[in-house]
Amino acid sequence: MRRIFVLTILILVCFVLQTTVFSYHDITGTAPNLLLILTMSFGIMRGRKEGMLAGFFCGFLCDVFFSSLLGPYMLLYMFIGYINGFFHRNYLMEDVMLPVIIIFVDEFIFNFVIYVVCFLLRNRLGFSQYFLKTVAPQTLYSVLITVVIYRIFVSINRYLKKKAQE
Amino acid sequence: MKFDRKKDINPKYLLLALSIICLILLFLSVFWGERVRPLREFVGKIITPMQEGVNDIGEWFGEKMEIFGDVKELKKKNAELQDELNDYKQEVDRYQAELQELEELRSLYELDSMYPEYNMTAARVFSTNSSSWFNEFYIDKGLNDGVYEECNVLCDNGLLGIVTESYDDYAKVRAIIDDRSNITAEITSTRSLCNVEGSLKTMADGYLLVTDIDKDADIAEGDKVTTSNVSDRYFYGLTIGYISEITMDSNNLTKTAKLIPAVDFTDVKDVLIITDRKQEVNY
Repeated sequence: MRRIFVLTILILVCFVLQTTVFSYHDITGTAPNLLLILTMSFGIMRGRKEGMLAGFFCGFLCDVFFSSLLGPYMLLYMFIGYINGFFHRNYLMEDVMLPVIIIFVDEFIFNFVIYVVCFLLRNRLGFSQYFLKTVAPQTLYSVLITVVIYRIFVSINRYLKKKAQE
Repeated sequence: MKFDRKKDINPKYLLLALSIICLILLFLSVFWGERVRPLREFVGKIITPMQEGVNDIGEWFGEKMEIFGDVKELKKKNAELQDELNDYKQEVDRYQAELQELEELRSLYELDSMYPEYNMTAARVFSTNSSSWFNEFYIDKGLNDGVYEECNVLCDNGLLGIVTESYDDYAKVRAIIDDRSNITAEITSTRSLCNVEGSLKTMADGYLLVTDIDKDADIAEGDKVTTSNVSDRYFYGLTIGYISEITMDSNNLTKTAKLIPAVDFTDVKDVLIITDRKQEVNY
């Protein structure tokens, strides 16, 4: 129960930060994908099920606010959370290298899917340009933020585990 | 016991179940878009106050930080601006005299003023789409303030975007530089029609493309591009930007030009919304 409550708060905080502070009054700018970092973190810290559920609700918020349809972001985040959950057993609490590599791949997949669905299908060719100008900055930003935020998630997770054992 | 059973659900089946929920929602929103609107409204009611709150805190901090700015620099700037202001004052006097003359002439011709006055309301941007693929943002006025779908949104000196979704107290706006945006515009110097296409690719280099300009149109760099009367969504005479580079298309029938938008999209804080609508949509 406590875990569900904390996760809900975390998802809300991440969404609000992502859409306000990190892209403050800048319509063209990019922001780190905090929701993806959250999905990834809980996927590798807690396994497939929690990663999937975190992704489901992160995607739901994205859909409600920034998509004309409900569902596409949900599916995307959910599958990313589920796949990240497979790394759960290889997971070492203090290791930051693994999450950094995973978020790198995640961001690439995430942006590639958006490119294919929203741009390639509308005959916007030339992925290399989009990659350099759009995908690369966002990926880099997210990777850098992961290094900091992942540690916070780890300590929150540790706290929850301790409370659950008591 | 019950709790244990719940924990033992195989993630595979849960994934399947959640995927089916997603697909159902997807179908619902594709075929009955209005049905999912209450869901969006409900979630929006919870989230938007938080976003607005965070925004207010940010602004408060911003103001406090500005106070610690360099006083010397501010003084220097103030002196410069004062000089500029004096120049402008003289200019305004001159223009006023000319305006009077113009009005007299106009009344002789019985012409209406060139640009009609629109009813406008001001709003504040509180949230932007964090993904760099799309250029959308939320403003803090909605249906209650007369901001409906397809209302035009302006920033200090030009067209900013169009309202795509409107809820009770907030609305979603798509900027004109968004990849899905397309505006029928005209070049003021020759009144020739053209299309202004939003594009992520060209906007990365700071310009948009103006396409389908007639090859005989006598346009030059620096010409102003405004919205045209032909458009069924945008009002007439709103500045979009200025032409910078003109090239002939390979079909030898039309020209394409680059356009520098009049609005600075990297710092949009307060916007104006035209509350009149070009087309009445039934609600």
